[in-house]
Amino acid sequence: MELTHQLELFPDRSVTLLLFNRVKNAAALRKKAMEGAIGGALINPAMIVDPFQILVAANKAVHLHKIGKMKTRTLNAEIIFSLSPNNNISDAFKKFGISDSDTAILIVMVVDRENPVNLQDIASQVDGQQVSLDELPQLTDTVKVKKMYKITPQEEKIGTLLDSIVCRISTKDVL
Amino acid sequence: RASGRTGEIRREPKVVEHSRSGERCACVVWRLLAVMAAAEAEAVGAQCGMAGLDRTRTAGCAGGQEGAASPARDETEAKADAAGPVRDEAGAVGLAVADAEVRPPPLPELRLVQLGAEAHVYRGLFLGRPVVAKIRVPKRYRHPALEERLSRRRMAQEARSLLRCRRAGIPAPVVYFVDYVTNSIYLEDIADSVTVQDHIYSVQQSRNDTSSLLPLAEKMGELLAKMHDEDLIHGDLTTSNILLRPPLEKLDLVIIDFGLSFISGLPEDKGVDLYVLEKAFLSIHPNTEGMFKALLQTYAAASKKSAPVIKKLDEVRLRGRKRSMIG
Repeated sequence: MELTHQLELFPDRSVTLLLFNRVKNAAALRKKAMEGAIGGALINPAMIVDPFQILVAANKAVHLHKIGKMKTRTLNAEIIFSLSPNNNISDAFKKFGISDSDTAILIVMVVDRENPVNLQDIASQVDGQQVSLDELPQLTDTVKVKKMYKITPQEEKIGTLLDSIVCRISTKDVL
Repeated sequence: RASGRTGEIRREPKVVEHSRSGERCACVVWRLLAVMAAAEAEAVGAQCGMAGLDRTRTAGCAGGQEGAASPARDETEAKADAAGPVRDEAGAVGLAVADAEVRPPPLPELRLVQLGAEAHVYRGLFLGRPVVAKIRVPKRYRHPALEERLSRRRMAQEARSLLRCRRAGIPAPVVYFVDYVTNSIYLEDIADSVTVQDHIYSVQQSRNDTSSLLPLAEKMGELLAKMHDEDLIHGDLTTSNILLRPPLEKLDLVIIDFGLSFISGLPEDKGVDLYVLEKAFLSIHPNTEGMFKALLQTYAAASKKSAPVIKKLDEVRLRGRKRSMIG
């Protein structure tokens, strides 16, 4: 149901993605997340085209966390910030984080091998139905995504939307 | 480090002085560099000199260190051009120092592709996808502060150029991860691709008919025109840096290796970029003058700013080794 991938460059960390639909308590969850009570980042699935996008952002966040060069204060916040094509942290949260009226949420957790997380605990806090990550494309708002990442028409001919997005995520701070 | 050749008389790697930086580096001599270094030292400065370093082949040394290297070596032989007799000079001396400090990335299905002087190149899986990992080799003879800065800049240039290509619709690998600590970059591995170099070789060997390669040359001209119109200079244009994605008839080209690239609107820089390609073409592939001519013609037609570039190219051709600079 959920998707877990062990980060090759950081073998003691794995990234787990959980997708929920028909969520009714988005507001309460958002509040909990802001307090840090949920051990993961709450992301708006409409802005995500593929789990790979999350993996690239999470890998970058873990790397920056390891070398102490994060721009935000927590790893989960850094994941959300990494997804954004610009350097405005609050804008990143607004666009990629969840809002009170959202009915679908994606929870991303970076798990330490030494501190295993019980996924049931997390899932039980969500008043909604957990669905497979395969349903993610149905929840994506492609128009909004293209606008957010400023995808040029020429780009679409040489690669997928995911390619363009991943390029921007990985080279954001190089420019 | 015993590279298994302790009985051999160690030859010093050839040292080439670069006109621009005045820096002395150990360059492994191989076919292209032999042609280019002398000709280009005056014409283009350090641009191609460092390019030669990137292309270092080290078939012998690879075996000792990595177990995974043997299948990789076949790959290298298959993928790389036949640098033949020159390969032996891969000074175990120079490499031993650098290799000890460069750790291969812990990727599944890791295969060594090349132990270059600038970077070690590996293939493997990263986040579930095939990648090419370029791990930069630190140059201990440089002052650490300069080394850090230069390494960072080179890597940033590569990442920036790749993003610029993508935005402009020029096919290039996707960047998956940039590691600022080791100055390494993880790129999309273009699966089942073949270099234009290998393709030309195989066509020439099987049919000995380069006229069928003219559409390929035209496509290349088009692609380069697009790149130069974006004011992007590749810096190391050779036929081994352009890949052909399958199916081959579609002429789906991808440009790789932007490690020496930079942004410039000057016709001089674009002309030199083309000159580098011309030299590479004519020295590696015999009887391809017609191909390159077609490439230039398409370039001139496709690029809006091509006229001054072609003019500069003619000027650059007059410079260099065995050329008389009269008039």
